[in-house]
Amino acid sequence: MSDFYKIRRRAKDELKTAYDFDSKDPLFGLSKDEIRGPQLSRRTTLRLMAAAGGLTLAQVLPGLAPKAVLAGSHGGGHLRCAWAGVGEIVTLDPARINQVLQFQIASNVLSGLMHIDNSLVAQGDLAESWDVSSDGLEYTITLRQGVTFHNGDKFDSDDVLYTFNRSKNPEKSMHSRVIGNVNEAVKLNDHQVKFILAKPQASFLTKALERASGRAMTIVSRGGIEALGDAAYGLAPVGTGPYMVTSHVLGQGVVLEKFANYYDSDRPKLDKITITPVDGAEPLAAAMEAGDVDYIGGNPVPSQLVERFKSNSDLTVDIKPGPGFQSVWINPWRDFMRVDNFNKPIEELKKENGFMVRLALVKALDRDLFVTQAKFGYGVPAHGTINPAMGYYFDDTLSSTSEQAYDPEGARALLAAAGYPGGKGFPTLKLQTTPNTKRDGLVVANIYKKVLGITVEVDAKDFSVGIEEFNKMDFDLRLGGSGGDYDPDDGIIDWMQTSSKFNGRDRNKELHPFGFFSSDQADAAIAKQSVTADLSERKKLVQEANAITSNKVACGFLYHPVDILVYNNKLNVPNDARIPGLHELDRISLS
Amino acid sequence: MLTYILKRFIGAILVMLAVATLVFFMLRLVPGDPIAAMLADAGSEEARIAMVKRLGFDKSVSVQFLKWFENMLHGDLGASIYGSNQPVSTIILEALPRTLSLALISFIIALIIALPAGILSATRKNTTTDHVVSFFAFLGLSMPDFWLAILLIIVFAANLHWLPAIGYSPISEGFWPWFSHLILPSIAVGTGFSAIIARMIRSSMLEVLQADYMRFATSKGLKDWTLLIKHALPNALIPVITVIGIAFALLISGAVVVENVFAIKGLGRVLIQGILNRDYPVVQGAVLVVSAIFVLSNLFVDLLYAIIDPRIRYS
Repeated sequence: MSDFYKIRRRAKDELKTAYDFDSKDPLFGLSKDEIRGPQLSRRTTLRLMAAAGGLTLAQVLPGLAPKAVLAGSHGGGHLRCAWAGVGEIVTLDPARINQVLQFQIASNVLSGLMHIDNSLVAQGDLAESWDVSSDGLEYTITLRQGVTFHNGDKFDSDDVLYTFNRSKNPEKSMHSRVIGNVNEAVKLNDHQVKFILAKPQASFLTKALERASGRAMTIVSRGGIEALGDAAYGLAPVGTGPYMVTSHVLGQGVVLEKFANYYDSDRPKLDKITITPVDGAEPLAAAMEAGDVDYIGGNPVPSQLVERFKSNSDLTVDIKPGPGFQSVWINPWRDFMRVDNFNKPIEELKKENGFMVRLALVKALDRDLFVTQAKFGYGVPAHGTINPAMGYYFDDTLSSTSEQAYDPEGARALLAAAGYPGGKGFPTLKLQTTPNTKRDGLVVANIYKKVLGITVEVDAKDFSVGIEEFNKMDFDLRLGGSGGDYDPDDGIIDWMQTSSKFNGRDRNKELHPFGFFSSDQADAAIAKQSVTADLSERKKLVQEANAITSNKVACGFLYHPVDILVYNNKLNVPNDARIPGLHELDRISLS
Repeated sequence: MLTYILKRFIGAILVMLAVATLVFFMLRLVPGDPIAAMLADAGSEEARIAMVKRLGFDKSVSVQFLKWFENMLHGDLGASIYGSNQPVSTIILEALPRTLSLALISFIIALIIALPAGILSATRKNTTTDHVVSFFAFLGLSMPDFWLAILLIIVFAANLHWLPAIGYSPISEGFWPWFSHLILPSIAVGTGFSAIIARMIRSSMLEVLQADYMRFATSKGLKDWTLLIKHALPNALIPVITVIGIAFALLISGAVVVENVFAIKGLGRVLIQGILNRDYPVVQGAVLVVSAIFVLSNLFVDLLYAIIDPRIRYS
């Protein structure tokens, strides 16, 4: 057995153990001592993440373990970063952050009570230790002492309560629902607070109190907000993190400088970081090649640049599986591809012209060609929402067993049977994209022309227009999907349930009883998996839901993205700075 | 003259108010939901409702307009509805020096190329020099500025490492950092304009050179240099100045593609970003400033006529 399979087997065992608990147990099969801080063990963290439904094989696979800092690295220095695919960093205020690329920066400036490290061990960030009641409803947090904000204010319980009250208020924070399960936060003394929950919540430590993904309990400075006002605080928030914002000019960039009084004297390594937003592939490549920037964060690196960066001996390109999926969404309320009841057995659906057209559209998708032409080979063909980054839940047989498997002959036959032989008489469809994904749309349109002989016009629309039309079910075809996280819920709960938040939210409910898809069978499997603690049972349900949505053509699944990190070799980027979706700039040094 | 300037100023203000009103209502007609764009997949329904209320979108468009108009008359352009709600005036005031810097250097580059090229081309009509200048003028006109920008970055930043590829440095941080960041974008923007101005100077000069007073001046035995600079150029520049005035205004608002390539957030980029985000106050504020620039440049050009040509008098 190769090392890879041994490692994978070990990781699978670890994952299975993590999920092995009684779902009714308020402490998720853990003892009180195990949940008590100052640090959660890897086993406990994995268990808590599993209980919260947020643990997958990708996260327990090695390669994420920290490695020693390379010899020759030293402190100090100036790191220049490009933040890709964005014209400006509109806010760094956790209450207003609406894009990952914003909290990638903010989590270097502001601290949370907790922060998960690269080996998935939950570390106390501003929490020094914690205790949880036997019923799992009360979390008593002891705060780190001697911590100061960048403006010199001392950090204590009042700041935790101030952050809690600010985040709980939907008028102030977009993330109030993250702490929706917290009934009350109580100050016990200057360095102890208690959170009283409405019901046990496994994700409370590892998500709600986490500084990056949670955002609701990322500690903000009352003094800073009152002195600066919300607007200025949004640009240059005062926190207790390793770096402080010394300049933030909208559209020009953010300058971070080392916070000398950070509680961990080993960090940050660098003195100064400049972050410049760069919109456009070519300027990004040129800036990297010219040595204007040394590190790329922000939106994913454009696929067309990867080979170019790889061939540059000054640069390192680190590629890992990325979460998410991208699809061609097919409006079932358009007459020629209408399906008003997905609950019929599939053999019955296959007799309906509308479904035949939908099936033809997805069978015609030559995903390998798409990945090669649109993504320059950097992507994985998709047949469902569950992606390879989700490891354990990923069903690698779906590519051959799904009704969506590439079958050009079958696709042409279906289209002919629906009354459009060789695409004759078939109306011109509009494929909605964003300006950034127009190229992807053109590749899809070419594939449809080649395989089915139908004409698809690419209609690139601003995000604000596209999302409005998508929510109202006012489109023929739309290219889009989820950046997602590493849990199956991201795909199936957010997208594939009848009540999913993206499923025709603002449609005319009298005309369109559901959005782009509705299956009672899929709804039941998705609902059940979300409350199933047994790992293998959950996997079965996830894969069942995934197969239903694939076979019944909830959409035409296209590809899964990969996560690409590019940096100059003069940087030392240790593995503990490589947390998926984040940039731990305080751990990076010059070598 | 003073009365004329006063009248033009009042006219300018009325034009700006009309533009502002038009833009306010046109923006509301443009499809696109700013709240959906802002929340993306982050916000809850409660957050959405709270945001609609906070931004006043629950009120009728006419009420929103009256409120905005009243604030504008008091010099308050409102705050961006996106991100951290920065005041619109701050966003514009931050962008304006970048845009003016870029426009100024581009303008100087355009004139440095266009003036000698246009004069040379006119005085050596139908010679090889004229053909070469005309060829490059057409090349400059037909070359997309973003393409030239990328080419310049690849050659001078990525390969030769002579100049920075992206970004902007304020002049307060030193002249060279400021200037070095502007050289490539200014060449990209200025080349196209230099071609337009050179063609204008050529045709205008050709016309002037054939005028009777030029023949008279020649017969007086004046030197070629004096003929050109003292007698021909001032007269040839009158129609050119109109183009230059409009070109300068266009440079201020229209360099958005080059601003994007070089990651310089000027006024054009503010406007485009505002439109993409459906950030109504930002778009309204930016359009107001751009319209003011256009109106004032036109006024400035009109006044410049009187200085260049003493025969022109305004009453």
